[in-house]
Amino acid sequence: MKTITFTVNGNPVTLDVSEDANLLSVLNDDLELAGAKEGCGAGECGACTVIVDGVAVTSCLYPACEADGRVVETVEGLVLESGSLHPLQRTFVDYGAVQCGFCTPGMVMSAKALLDKYPNPNEQEVKVALAGNICRCTGYTQIVEAVLAAAEEMKK
Amino acid sequence: MAAALDYLRPASVAEALSLLSTIEGAQPVAGATDVWVGIRSKKHSPKALVSLKNIPNLRFILPDRETDAYEGRAEGVTGDSGVLLGAATTHGDVEDSAWMKTHFPAVHQACSGVGSRQVRNVATVGGNICNAAPCADSAVGLLLYDATLVIAGPAGERELPLSEFFVGPGETRLGPAEILKEVKVPNPGPRTYAWYWKHTRRKGVELPLLGVGARVTLDADGMVEKARVSLGVCAPMPTRSYEAEKVLEGQKLTAELAAEAGEVAAANALVRDTWRGRGWYRREMVRVLVPRVIKLSGALS
Repeated sequence: MKTITFTVNGNPVTLDVSEDANLLSVLNDDLELAGAKEGCGAGECGACTVIVDGVAVTSCLYPACEADGRVVETVEGLVLESGSLHPLQRTFVDYGAVQCGFCTPGMVMSAKALLDKYPNPNEQEVKVALAGNICRCTGYTQIVEAVLAAAEEMKK
Repeated sequence: MAAALDYLRPASVAEALSLLSTIEGAQPVAGATDVWVGIRSKKHSPKALVSLKNIPNLRFILPDRETDAYEGRAEGVTGDSGVLLGAATTHGDVEDSAWMKTHFPAVHQACSGVGSRQVRNVATVGGNICNAAPCADSAVGLLLYDATLVIAGPAGERELPLSEFFVGPGETRLGPAEILKEVKVPNPGPRTYAWYWKHTRRKGVELPLLGVGARVTLDADGMVEKARVSLGVCAPMPTRSYEAEKVLEGQKLTAELAAEAGEVAAANALVRDTWRGRGWYRREMVRVLVPRVIKLSGALS
């Protein structure tokens, strides 16, 4: 076991993790943050996407030991301090970008990482940023629309 | 998963080298994206992973200062002398570098097509090279520019041309106690055109059926001074098609010459049958794609 300290959604946490644990299992099991999901476990589906030090990563492939000293954001941290939904969460609801919801936390976090860095993306840039997030329900159109709408919203 | 796995995070190249030489079965990792999948699927069971992620000055694109956190080496490396990539530079760093897109478009294209954005944010160019998959996109791109690897080991640093680095699938000339530190790419010179085509079924998040790169540098009279043709998944390792390069060099570049280079590259390609694609199809597509990448590079116009 190794002791690691990192920040999750603004809160510092210290815990012991197994050397072969991935960040996803630490979030899900140790911290009981169930938003990030395990889909493929091989970095191909994106359901486990969280943000580490400002960039989207697949937490199933991220060694937990490597999270030490870093800043992690998960979908649970998106709700604004006022209690209202983050613009991305709002537009995902408004545009019908959610069906079964399994991919949604990963989708939203990939989109957030994009908008944090490029507040004004075009449709193609949104598609590239979300290419690693697989959705088997919606057909993606509503998801891309929701991200573009959130970008507009966040500029206000 | 191997229960005894250790995960070590050295703070310097010297410390990393000492760990690698003292722990038998230790493996260096940077992004660890591929190694982690291998461990989870029980394909690999290293005793320890030695993370290179926390070593300062391994992640930079010089002279593009935008992603550069490297001190002390900026002098002497200018736009005129090519580019120096830290081995821990991520594919995303290259993708985000407008400078790389301008000066080394084929490397930019190759790196931008690896995995998903989430993977590119973590997976490194050095890791892509050392992992030595036959499909390593960044290696196929870098072969076009005569990249040299700077390798650190117990006896100091040595340099090896990328074209001599690969031995077979997953096998390289990197010693067990060595790490790849930097990738040095010389200035390809004026009138250089290059392109990389990743031949896939899907548009994204896909391994290539074939990777084809071409680069030509023209002299002042429009003759091909230097040509490079590189192929991924066309052999057990990323390779150059020296035969196709010979067809192009010293000649006036025309569409017909590009087509001839494609014929020669296809005839000499060491294509394999794999579940992702059959050898005959790969050979046929080399013939088609070599002239196509030459055309896309803009060298013909």
